Amino acid sequence: MTDYGHDLIFGTFVTPTARNASDVVDLAVLADRSGIDLVTFQDHPYQSSFLDTSTLLAFVAARTRNIRVAANVANLPLRPPAVLARASASLDVLSGGRFELGLGAGAFWNAIEAVGGRRLTPGQGVTALREAIEIIRAIWDTDARGDVRHDGEFYRTDGAKRGPRPAHPISIWVGAYKPKMLALTGTHGDGWMPAIPNLPNGAASYPDHNARIDEAAVAAGRSPSAIRRFGVLIGGGFGGTPRGLLDGPVEMWTEQLAGLALEHGVSGFVVATDDPSTTQRYGLEVVPAVRELVARERG
Amino acid sequence: MDVGLGVLLDAARLPGARLTDLAVRAEQRGLDLVVVGGVQGGLDPLTVAAWVAGATSRILVGVADAGVPPAPDTGDPEQPFPFVVDKSLDGLGLLSGDRLLRGPGAWSVAVDSTIDAVKAAAGAGVPVVVAVRTVHDVDRVVELRVVDHARRPASVRARRMPGIDYEGVPDVLAAGVVEPGDSAYRSVASTYMRGGAPGLVLRATTVEEVAAAITFARRHTDLPLGVRSGGHGFSGRSTNHGGLVVDVGGMDGVEVIDPDRRLVRVGPGASWKRVATALRPYGWAIGSGDAGGVGVGGLATAGGIGFLSRKQGLTIDRVRAVELVLADGSPIRASDDENPDLFWALRGAGANFGVATAFEIEAEPIGDVGWASLALVVDDVAEALEHYGRVASEAPRDTTLFMMIGPPRGGRSVMQLYGVVDNADPDTIISRLTPFARIGPIVQQSVTVSAYADVMDMTDTGPGGHQGVGEPVARSTLFREFTPEVARLAADAVASGGVGILSVRQMGGAIADVPEGATAFSHRDAGFAVAVLGSNARRVDAAWDPVRGLGIGSYLSFETDQSPERLGDAFPPPVLDRLRELKRRYDPGFLFRDNFPIDPRPADARLEETAR
Ligand SMILES: Cc1cc2nc3c(=O)[nH]c(=O)nc-3n(C[C@H](O)[C@H](O)[C@H](O)COP(=O)(O)OP(=O)(O)OC[C@H]3O[C@@H](n4cnc5c(N)ncnc54)[C@H](O)[C@@H]3O)c2cc1C
Repeated sequence: MTDYGHDLIFGTFVTPTARNASDVVDLAVLADRSGIDLVTFQDHPYQSSFLDTSTLLAFVAARTRNIRVAANVANLPLRPPAVLARASASLDVLSGGRFELGLGAGAFWNAIEAVGGRRLTPGQGVTALREAIEIIRAIWDTDARGDVRHDGEFYRTDGAKRGPRPAHPISIWVGAYKPKMLALTGTHGDGWMPAIPNLPNGAASYPDHNARIDEAAVAAGRSPSAIRRFGVLIGGGFGGTPRGLLDGPVEMWTEQLAGLALEHGVSGFVVATDDPSTTQRYGLEVVPAVRELVARERG
Repeated sequence: MDVGLGVLLDAARLPGARLTDLAVRAEQRGLDLVVVGGVQGGLDPLTVAAWVAGATSRILVGVADAGVPPAPDTGDPEQPFPFVVDKSLDGLGLLSGDRLLRGPGAWSVAVDSTIDAVKAAAGAGVPVVVAVRTVHDVDRVVELRVVDHARRPASVRARRMPGIDYEGVPDVLAAGVVEPGDSAYRSVASTYMRGGAPGLVLRATTVEEVAAAITFARRHTDLPLGVRSGGHGFSGRSTNHGGLVVDVGGMDGVEVIDPDRRLVRVGPGASWKRVATALRPYGWAIGSGDAGGVGVGGLATAGGIGFLSRKQGLTIDRVRAVELVLADGSPIRASDDENPDLFWALRGAGANFGVATAFEIEAEPIGDVGWASLALVVDDVAEALEHYGRVASEAPRDTTLFMMIGPPRGGRSVMQLYGVVDNADPDTIISRLTPFARIGPIVQQSVTVSAYADVMDMTDTGPGGHQGVGEPVARSTLFREFTPEVARLAADAVASGGVGILSVRQMGGAIADVPEGATAFSHRDAGFAVAVLGSNARRVDAAWDPVRGLGIGSYLSFETDQSPERLGDAFPPPVLDRLRELKRRYDPGFLFRDNFPIDPRPADARLEETAR
């Protein structure tokens, strides 16, 4: 049993389809009303059929009450770090501390280049992400003196103003899959946000990947529990017969999610679904049941 | 204001919560535009604009294009990609329902908040914005608008409709009038249920303004006159085509005036969600209907059959006083001690007697409640209706489950049950729901212990302005019980396809504790209010007429047929006679005649009219 001691967070992952903008917002509102803690949207600015994720997050935050919002994950190559830091802090202020920052190094380089971004190798992507996290945290740190200076391999500034100051300490959750990125998550991140279907062995990858993050964290003098572990899963549905991961009765969902928490220390669940009734049942039925089961097992 | 008037918010200087308040206030007060400006160092203007668009539903939102250079330095952490900025503005246009204005050329900024500065800025022919920092500043901008109302530009005047004295709108109303060429028109033309195109909407926020609106309306008696509060009327008569609308949606205050008596003063424009939220800290509630978005004005003058009615009575049974403006423009108060005749009429047929401007309502203490929503599959609709009817009639007063059912698909129908158990104890909630859950196999269920205010929140329609289209078709019939015959004929009506949805609201309990005749609302012996909706009036009637014959009357809030027969269904002869007599006294000129009109004229004159 692995346990990093975090409270559980339950989220959804909604497709930001531009054609159905109001449905997208409605799904977030429904998630909020169903007691779900977090709503996330993917960020692919070059994808013309998607809404822009930054404005969507702000719009959704204004229409909801309790739910937190985050990109899953923000596309660094097209979101310059100081711009991202300021938009993030602004929304955190407006929403009373309901913003968290999901962040990734980017993929689909042809598309990124086509709209003006620069192509990076995977190795360069890791360095750029590290630099970006340093700049973002520096912009948020309004107590520090002087402007932000950074002379890195990928970002340079000799005087960016600090601020605005976020309403709460915004967490940075990294979408990481490869060893170097996992290590960066351990040294610089507040959370690790992988999509389980994209892990080499699905959920079975957790022990190995967790260990890499833990090692890097410890080597950097941090506690492994400084990094929350997520799992993004596809929400199949609530059929009567168990068919697979998150595809079957409520009890099955409950056991599967609780299993991830208890076996692998996952404390953030993000369910991908665009179906209102799945969203509602997940929030109203599964979430309380998982909390209860995990609390009981944790003792 | 000729070209549109709005406010400019400085995202760099104002605290976050204030930005939201100012934008919402500007929208509430009927301004056209809120522009988010700001320089480096404060909140990000684009993020603020997106937030403001989300926090509002009608007002235009302006944001200045940053004007970024075409080829950014990708190593500069402060330089956004033009492509991405563009995309976010496009996305905001979609999200906001086309309310985004991209500046800076789309508006002009007045140098200060004087009328001269506004006039000078208006010369540019685009909307004028005035920088504001407080709610008081916003209100001052609204006043500026008053001075300049009449001189709208030719492009707006070109869309005026015949028979309306646009230039003669009284000054006190000028701030709130919306005519077809105005930018705000789209957001006020239609209601929740019905598409409309009124010639002039008079938004009134004080008793004085309501009086002025009524006086103005009296000069236009040949045109339809709609009265609107929350805009959720089933019949959609709070809009029209080519006529006037008096809109008191802005009178939405909720104020506790006597904590010992739990007496609450509520404006007609408040939504029931707003009422519930305001009373939540006191641990009180006023029952309304099942939808948080419905307005006070329409419901509290008609009845109010809701989740708490079986325990608290109808909403009108909790009303202790009503203030309204009569057809002659005079304000009046009605209660058990003041104008009791009028008070009687206002509780059931209020729309015929004036425009209500405030209600004093006695709230009841309430704890958390069980909020349930169940979906059952039923093969035999008639049997299921009868079963539901039996269980509902036997349920204790704390249990109210409404029901909805549609035409069968593949031989089966889905019955939706939703409602409240007014008890916070989970075991009690479950035991109350169990008999309902036995009606058929459950395919979906959710039961939560919630604050009553959350129930109203969950059933709110959300912001977005009313965008109803076409003509609604609904028929309303009250039944004592679901006898096998009622159930069978109702099931046939649903199966015929003529009726799209059959919805049933459980009555009984405390509703029947009030003596028949105590209010104009009649048929207190009803056990169920049934509403059927469809798309074609002829087909709905063909399907529903046989069932209506078994009913005991009608509740007009779910009816769209304006014929005198339906009025007779709602009010039995002695009640209707008394209403007619009062109508002669309070509205002899028949000004309020758009929604289930009670004709004040004697029967022979009415007959003559019908013959012609
Ligand atoms: C989704 C939905 C669910 C509903 N559920 C229920 C329910 O559970 N129980 C129930 O009882 N009803 C219910 N209703 C019906 C609702 O109560 C009525 O339609 C009510 O009239 C709506 O009030 P409003 O102020 O929102 O509507 P409006 O459209 O503004 O007004 C409707 C009519 O009321 C009159 N009116 C409005 N304001 C005033 C005023 N200030 N003074 C005098 N007359 C006025 C006018 O005749 C007007 O045409 C529901 C309606 C909808 C759309």
